[in-house]
Amino acid sequence: MTATDSPIITESLTKQFGRGRKRILAVRDVNLTVKTGQVYGFLGPNGAGKTTTIRMLLRLLHPTAGRAYIYGQSVARHPEALRRVGAIVEGASFYNFLSARRNLEVFARTADHYDPARIDALLAQVGLTERKHQRVKGYSTGMKQRLGLAAALLGDPDLLILDEPTNGLDPSGMHEIREFIRRLATEEGKTIFLSSHLLSEIEQICDRVAIIQRGAIVREGAVSDLLEAKTSLRIEASPLETAAAILSARWPVTVNTTWLSVQAARDEIPAIVRNLAQRDIDVYQIASQRQSLEEYFLSVVSEDAPHG
Amino acid sequence: MVNLFRAEWSKIAGHRWLTGCLIWIFPIGAVAFTVVLSIILALSEPARTSFAADTVTWTETLAGAWSFLNNPLGRLLLIGFTAVMFAGEYQWQTWKSLIPRNRRAALILIKFLALSVFVVVAFALMSVLLTAGMGLLRAIAGASYGPEITANVVRAAASDYARSAGLGFLSTLIAAGYAALAGMLTRSILGGVLVAYGLTIAESLLLVGLLVAAYFLDFRDIVHVYRFTPGYNLLNLDSWFRTGKSTPFEVAFSANEVLVVQDSAEFSALVIAVWVIGLIGLTVYLFRRQDITS
Repeated sequence: MTATDSPIITESLTKQFGRGRKRILAVRDVNLTVKTGQVYGFLGPNGAGKTTTIRMLLRLLHPTAGRAYIYGQSVARHPEALRRVGAIVEGASFYNFLSARRNLEVFARTADHYDPARIDALLAQVGLTERKHQRVKGYSTGMKQRLGLAAALLGDPDLLILDEPTNGLDPSGMHEIREFIRRLATEEGKTIFLSSHLLSEIEQICDRVAIIQRGAIVREGAVSDLLEAKTSLRIEASPLETAAAILSARWPVTVNTTWLSVQAARDEIPAIVRNLAQRDIDVYQIASQRQSLEEYFLSVVSEDAPHG
Repeated sequence: MVNLFRAEWSKIAGHRWLTGCLIWIFPIGAVAFTVVLSIILALSEPARTSFAADTVTWTETLAGAWSFLNNPLGRLLLIGFTAVMFAGEYQWQTWKSLIPRNRRAALILIKFLALSVFVVVAFALMSVLLTAGMGLLRAIAGASYGPEITANVVRAAASDYARSAGLGFLSTLIAAGYAALAGMLTRSILGGVLVAYGLTIAESLLLVGLLVAAYFLDFRDIVHVYRFTPGYNLLNLDSWFRTGKSTPFEVAFSANEVLVVQDSAEFSALVIAVWVIGLIGLTVYLFRRQDITS
């Protein structure tokens, strides 16, 4: 696979805001490769650098160091490469004084791919045909997000960069957007780079994820590999608090009502049992369970969090 | 480029409140002026007499409409309009949808082009409406509205109109340059208006400041800085076009020491060109380097 087959490549992408004592290193040495047809999840806690990275990919921010490539072309030198990209950044924003249709017309004309039939088709696809002549000012958050997806799809892009596309949506709205994104990937073959806080959503639709923490990528890989690399153990023991105290010296432990979740591999079970038995802890059950992406994310974020 | 222009036009024209209050107000004002004054003239004999006594020509009315561009209120409205065009994208958070698929320089240049077309259309319309309206008012008052239309009169009126419109347009472009730059740097419509209007006021007070500086610093050549301001050079160009002579720049330091400078039309044209190109160029340059964080 050549660089031009990779919709996104970043090389040591770095962004620093401010100077001197006010210097903030928002993103440091981020290296990413997103391949054609992938649905790539980009995860991280608030302020980790997700949106800053996305803004650099879209030429909204100038990197302090490093490079971003879209389909093999440097974003800084060949901005025309972004014509193959549709994006939503930090929620969709519109000219609230214009109708939905007029907004799409403005964006389509600005990008020089005005096609009235495509605009109407996209409005139908996101279910806004009935209200396309209404001013966006009166739209709900969900309607705006759907309109944002329609705007991102103008020009039939090969790559979609979606930053928090489900922000502010209720559960049914999230489900709707998730299904829409899934269809774009499976039925239309779009490559999707998706940043979201909703880890269950990411787990369901992404092939690969990267986790960014304090500006740096701390984990990257296929979702299945990451989750299988580190299982968690469900342990029922008594007294539970004492067991938690003993095990937390070596493994990350979460105390639930009647059981402990210990992040350890299956082959560490004998060591755990020995530890507990030596301290007279009664063990009733130990079961190995595959972590959810949410558990995995939380364990990675807590491991990499600054101590003290 | 045509699509980009149409996008800009349709976006701004779609903001009816903005365009209604800040740009179409000029032709609307011309119609309102005619309607109100025609009612007054129709109802009041003394008003008709007084109105008929004034000498008003259609040639002056036609060209004079453009002088509203230099009127403080007219200037403020146009600065406001420009600030909304440029800073509005930050407040509406729409740059993030426009920039990825376009060259930043094109986005800014098209805004200046759209602004110019809005101003030209609004003021051309206003001058025609005002001239026709004044004809109606003169008819109601039973007064003459010369001069008679002949080839020479039309030629002279066209030349006068082109001068007035051209200089008014250039002065607007400079004020718009301030507003665009300020709006872009402050990322705020209000900030853009305040800074740009402040700069136009500062320019008009500059000569006083330079004289004070020349006196206190005992450095008289500093007043020559005034010769590079847009206001002085627009006046000088106007004088050259109207009378074929310059407007002398005179500063009396004492009874015996008077500085008199007369600049050529070419000098003033060059200074104005540097201002216009400089302000637009600086806006483009800074916008290309700007991080869009909203």
